[in-house]
Amino acid sequence: MSLLDVRAISKRFGALKAVDAVSFQVGPGQICGFIGPNGAGKTTTMRICATLELPDEGDVRIDGLSVLSEPRDARRRIGFMPDSYGAYSSTTIFEYLDFFARAYELTGARRREVLARVIEFTGLGELTEKEITSLSKGLKQRLCLAKTLLHDPPVMILDEPAAGLDPRARVELRELVKALAQMGKAILISSHILTELAEMCSSVVVIERGQIKGGGAVGEVVRALQPTTTLFLRALEGPQACERRLLEQRGVSKVRLERDGVCFEFEGDADGQATLFAELASSGLRPIELAQQGKNLEDLFLSLTEGKLQ
Amino acid sequence: MSALAASRSFDDRLNPILVKEVRQALRGRYFRALFWLTLGVATLVGLTIVAQAGSHGARTGVGRSFFMLMYGCLSAAVLAFTPFSAFLATSAEWDENTHDLLVLSNLRPRRIVYGKLLSALVQALLYFSTFGPFLVFAFLMNGVDLLSIAVLLVTSFAACATLSLLGIAMASLSPAKAPRVLLMAVFGVALVIAWGFSMSFSAFVTFQPNELRDPMALPSIVAFVVACLLLGGVFAALAVARLSHDEENRSSGLRVLSAAIVLVAALFGLWMELEFGQSEFAWGLQLAVLLPLAILWLLFVCEPERLGRHVVRHVSPHPWLALLTAPFLPGGGRGVALMALHMLLGLGAVFVVRLIPGADAAELSQALIGLALVYAYAWIYLALPAAFASLLPPKLSTRVMTRVTILCGIPMLVLLPPLAGLVLGIPSWMEFLHPLNPLFPLRELSSGRAFTSIEKLGFLVATVVAILANTPRMTHGFAEVLAASRARRAALAQPS
Ligand SMILES: Nc1ncnc2c1ncn2[C@@H]1O[C@H](COP(=O)(O)OP(=O)(O)O)[C@@H](O)[C@H]1O
Ligand SMILES: [Mg+2]
Repeated sequence: MSLLDVRAISKRFGALKAVDAVSFQVGPGQICGFIGPNGAGKTTTMRICATLELPDEGDVRIDGLSVLSEPRDARRRIGFMPDSYGAYSSTTIFEYLDFFARAYELTGARRREVLARVIEFTGLGELTEKEITSLSKGLKQRLCLAKTLLHDPPVMILDEPAAGLDPRARVELRELVKALAQMGKAILISSHILTELAEMCSSVVVIERGQIKGGGAVGEVVRALQPTTTLFLRALEGPQACERRLLEQRGVSKVRLERDGVCFEFEGDADGQATLFAELASSGLRPIELAQQGKNLEDLFLSLTEGKLQ
Repeated sequence: MSALAASRSFDDRLNPILVKEVRQALRGRYFRALFWLTLGVATLVGLTIVAQAGSHGARTGVGRSFFMLMYGCLSAAVLAFTPFSAFLATSAEWDENTHDLLVLSNLRPRRIVYGKLLSALVQALLYFSTFGPFLVFAFLMNGVDLLSIAVLLVTSFAACATLSLLGIAMASLSPAKAPRVLLMAVFGVALVIAWGFSMSFSAFVTFQPNELRDPMALPSIVAFVVACLLLGGVFAALAVARLSHDEENRSSGLRVLSAAIVLVAALFGLWMELEFGQSEFAWGLQLAVLLPLAILWLLFVCEPERLGRHVVRHVSPHPWLALLTAPFLPGGGRGVALMALHMLLGLGAVFVVRLIPGADAAELSQALIGLALVYAYAWIYLALPAAFASLLPPKLSTRVMTRVTILCGIPMLVLLPPLAGLVLGIPSWMEFLHPLNPLFPLRELSSGRAFTSIEKLGFLVATVVAILANTPRMTHGFAEVLAASRARRAALAQPS
């Protein structure tokens, strides 16, 4: 069963359809990347999932609970980290976490235990007496994550948590998120730092202008949405000869000269690539190199979205 | 249980917002600066006065001005600084983007508002205990008697709570910064005015302490404190509604409180009749509470008609109980029903007082008619336009527009004829004696003039139209509650 089940939600702001019939699921232990350009509707979708905004249509089930009819019970199962969130003035890290622990009705020894665990997990141990307003962005992010973990929610929704972090903080965040997934939490994470997501996500959902453009396991999505592979070929005969020979082959398109070889799109799997290689060799070409070009979320993203901002 | 364990369980039961805000206040600059400033000014001024008293002889006079100054500082602290910091603390939740975190933390809006109030009261108590010794000193200087001190402390504490709740309610009104800055300015001015009132009241109490021993003094003070509590309750309910989820019940708290206002006014009128034989309170109070009630009615009758998805599940499964509580559930049609209920209660209260032997029956009979006429205006001015607006698609913007239109429209209707009268030279209009003024029938009744048949007819038609226009949505409102009740019964009957 999926812990986070988004069912055809739509949301308008005036004439603008910010979210348009969006559906997807995230199961336990999964990290789902939520990708889209600015203004695509990621934050709106996540806020609906977190009961902060009401959808015009559709519903979201958190661990089976509807955010519409049981928002209070649903909230207990959600850890939402907004893209911009507050830091109370004149408050230390400990006081901040203690406040939210009290708000979550953790009492006595249990509260102290949870606080200690969360502080240790996020590595804030030595800083508990620091005032929040003086913290770096990375530390604030960790503090907010710590706050989100206090009530041990099975569903985590993180809105652009990596934005504005230095590389080191980003790596630390990634490790934390992975550790959380290993605990069996369902995690939805949005970002435009796409390479970050590629390394940790088990699935992705791509959204543009409020509509889902694709989704599924990272590999699957890449295959389904990008049927061709970008290959690079170099041969002793030179790039012009490569181009000529390639254009005679089936499944080859978009051949273009690059450095001392050619880049082209090829429609076919590993088998097909082997056949192509053999045929090129038998046609008198002496290939030195046939390599697959970087095919990651970044490319996928660029090929899926048309870069139109809203 | 050991003392330590007891203190821990007490600690656990503390309102989280209270704990957080007290920590913030003690660590932050605003409270500390103001606290030392107030205390410093009070000490300096006190010393100056006492030093001067050494050279003069009139001790009572010195004691009085000493007390006035001390009380001035104290009331500035508890009637201005404290409510203002409650406004700022609530406002900060929007500005610091922590409001969403609060909502997510599942703290009930009620507890948030209560925590904010408590932390304001804790600050006020700190001021009270700091100024306590000074006030006692004033007493020792013969400046003031203990009754006056007690009355001033009780009234300023009640006012502090109400003003703090007003601040919390105003700050919770708008998440957008610009309107809140405007509200902050308005609130600041209101606080200065409140402080001015408290100063003139303290002067009155200090220089005429015997007035407090008048038989009417106790009812006045009780009335003031009760009014503070009720108003505070209304502000709290408003703030709670603002902080609640859209699908949750944001109306019932206010509705119950509005009914409490009518009941308290009724009880007070009854008390005044029985205790002091003063009949005019019975209807005068019902008239006085009409202004706050009208504002609440305006909120209720413009609500969207349908019950929220969350509210539906809290309707009583018992059909009669569901029907009885229906006027207290959200929804415009049910709001009109509540308005009618209030009116019946108000008229009933006056009628009961009229039955008391010794009551001024003639005056009360006339008051009953006058009150009914004023109520009819409420139907025409509030319920009628709201009924038409309810035919439009239920959107927030339409609702806000309707409320603003009605709110601004009524003063226009009252003010325009006098202006027209000025131009056209109609003296009675210039004195607000025109049929568009809701208080017009009262003045005409008391002056003994008979209404013209055109006036009577027009008024009757307008009232009947207002009632008829609202009948369909009232009927739907009750039907919806009954349907929800039936659904609950069915759900309960089903073995789960
Ligand atoms: N409260 C709002 N009022 C009006 N428009 C909004 C509001 N919130 C978001 N939008 C609009 O909805 C679209 C989607 O926004 P958002 O969900 O924040 O996108 P993302 O998080 O993917 O950048 C944007 O065009 C944005 O301007
Ligand atoms: Mg966003």
